[in-house]
Amino acid sequence: MDERLLLVEDDASIREIVSIGLKAAGFRVATAIDGREGLARVRADGFDAVILDVMLPSLDGFEVCREIRKFSRVPVVMLTARTDLIDVVVGLESGADDYVKKPFELPELIARLRAVLRRAAAPTEAEPILAGRLEIDPAGFTVRKDGVELALTATEFRLLFELARRPGQVFTRELLLQRVWDYEYLGESHLVDVAIGRLRAKVEDDPSHPAVIKTIRGVGYRLDRA
Amino acid sequence: MARHPTWPRGRRGRIWPGGLRRRLVVAFVLVATVSAGALAVASHLLVRDARLDGSLATSAAAAREDLNLAATITYQAAGDFVRAYEQRGAHAVLIFPGGRKVTSDAQVNPPIPAVLQGFVRQGQLGYQRMDVAGQPYLVVAGRVPGSDAQLYLFFSEQSIQRNLAQLRNALAAAWLGVLLVAALVGRVLARRTLGPVARASEAARLIAGGRLDTRLPVGPADEFGAWAAAFNEMADALEAKVAALSAAQARELRFTANVAHELRTPLTALVAEASLLGSQVSHLPDPARRPVELMVADVGRLRTLVDELMEISRLDAGSEPVLPRRVDVRSFVAALIGARGWQDRVAVDGGPLTLTTDPRRIERILANLTGNAVEHSGRDVRVRIGTDGAHGCIDVVDAGPGIPPEHLPHVFERFYKADSARAGVGSGLGLAIALENARLLGGDISVSSDVAGGSVFRLTLPLGPAADVSEP
Repeated sequence: MDERLLLVEDDASIREIVSIGLKAAGFRVATAIDGREGLARVRADGFDAVILDVMLPSLDGFEVCREIRKFSRVPVVMLTARTDLIDVVVGLESGADDYVKKPFELPELIARLRAVLRRAAAPTEAEPILAGRLEIDPAGFTVRKDGVELALTATEFRLLFELARRPGQVFTRELLLQRVWDYEYLGESHLVDVAIGRLRAKVEDDPSHPAVIKTIRGVGYRLDRA
Repeated sequence: MARHPTWPRGRRGRIWPGGLRRRLVVAFVLVATVSAGALAVASHLLVRDARLDGSLATSAAAAREDLNLAATITYQAAGDFVRAYEQRGAHAVLIFPGGRKVTSDAQVNPPIPAVLQGFVRQGQLGYQRMDVAGQPYLVVAGRVPGSDAQLYLFFSEQSIQRNLAQLRNALAAAWLGVLLVAALVGRVLARRTLGPVARASEAARLIAGGRLDTRLPVGPADEFGAWAAAFNEMADALEAKVAALSAAQARELRFTANVAHELRTPLTALVAEASLLGSQVSHLPDPARRPVELMVADVGRLRTLVDELMEISRLDAGSEPVLPRRVDVRSFVAALIGARGWQDRVAVDGGPLTLTTDPRRIERILANLTGNAVEHSGRDVRVRIGTDGAHGCIDVVDAGPGIPPEHLPHVFERFYKADSARAGVGSGLGLAIALENARLLGGDISVSSDVAGGSVFRLTLPLGPAADVSEP
């Protein structure tokens, strides 16, 4: 507990009530009212997780997330008012770890936050895994490809780690949602698809012809030791 | 909306778009060839008669003269007399009383027709047309004055017949020419006459197909020009009307979307506040407790309504994507029911059934249908999975009070509430959204209901791969 959260939200009511709810749940909460301020605070203070509204004045949530990803792997949960799939996908592609649709119940947001925080904590198994040219070190939270360290977010790391623990096994999207995102039931499978896309961009030689993380049509994904 | 056939049906029930043009061409060609043929035959007859009459008059005059001349000829001189005709291209036969016959050309020795001979014996000048050695001849004959001798003159009519044959050939060629020209001119005329009709048909079809900017070229200031102008005016009016209607509809859709969107921010705060307040109910003083509970429930209703308004306006805008996956319907339905805690009230039958479809949308549809059934029936809800050959069918069967027949056709309409018994918790948009989602997946939802025995909502979905399964 006592994780430090940053809530970036321009609407005063939402900012206040969500802060109250998060504090009641045991978090320490700082707030920012627009994108620029939020980005500056993440840069200056560092947080355990960031809650980022999409529709922000001065710099929108997608931009803020992209900027954060340039220097930090801090877990980001997007608050998206628009449930258009395209916004959700853009949010995830900009590097968010998860999203919550507005309006949301506080317990829903808290559950998502706890899940990303758990993901960001090192896995209990500390044995490094060798998967082809990839070297995955859970203790150090690092992945090296041909000895060069890759910058993965907590979610991307956790996804790769899950796949690499059982190379050759096909994981359905539902299983990955459970293992990586802690969704108990049919979540949004584009969480998986977008994260796989981002992961491929980092680990594959040619992301459009993946050799490491294969798509199994209609079923899910599999890691090959190629 | 009733579909009208594109073409009015003829009495044979089939439509020949080129039929009138063909009939016009055929009629034109018939009229031209019959009249040209009649003219040709008539002129041939006239020319032939004139030529033959002329030839007869000339030959008769020559014969009269020669008969007078022959009166002076003796039998001895007869040979020279008749041979002179050979130089004129004719033959002559002189028959003296007693039957002695002098012929201009012994080799030809033309036969003397008996009828003509009878005429001549009676002292008349006679003529007959006949073939001699395969050539046409005009025979003019008479009795030599003052004697019983008979002179038969054979004038060749070969050149006349040759001329007439040439005339016939020329007329036949001209007739054929007229036929061809008539066919060509007929085609051109028919095309020019009926071209505007064909263009108008095509334009009308395009407009019916949604190309409202289709216009006809306004040609010369004739009937077709006026028609095209009138057609274009109609199309202008139609286009303007449709544009106005679409704009109004787009405005309305945008307004709904904007309203729902603008409601989101205060609603987000409300929902968060209500969820916090709801968790503190037990700490509230007694008089505040019930109002807070009601407020929390109403915020929930408002949230559902706004969510559904947003969803239906996205469906209306056509901005909802379909992400097909292979779905094992039985385990999917079981998971859906489990996640909502309905295991005790909803039983699942049938299956197995695997579909390629968007699981999020199936979830929306089935959660709505099953939720309604649970709400109206309480328990004993069954979800039946099967196929009807071409489609996967998922029936949601309840044992509730049923829907009266007068309401049945309207249950998928937006904000339609059948009666006070079924009104209540729902937003009034649930079934409309379920139906829109089913259609987005290429499927449909139908309902049958018995006031005594409950309702069956049937979701049908295409069995084959509905759309391309594209996966990252």
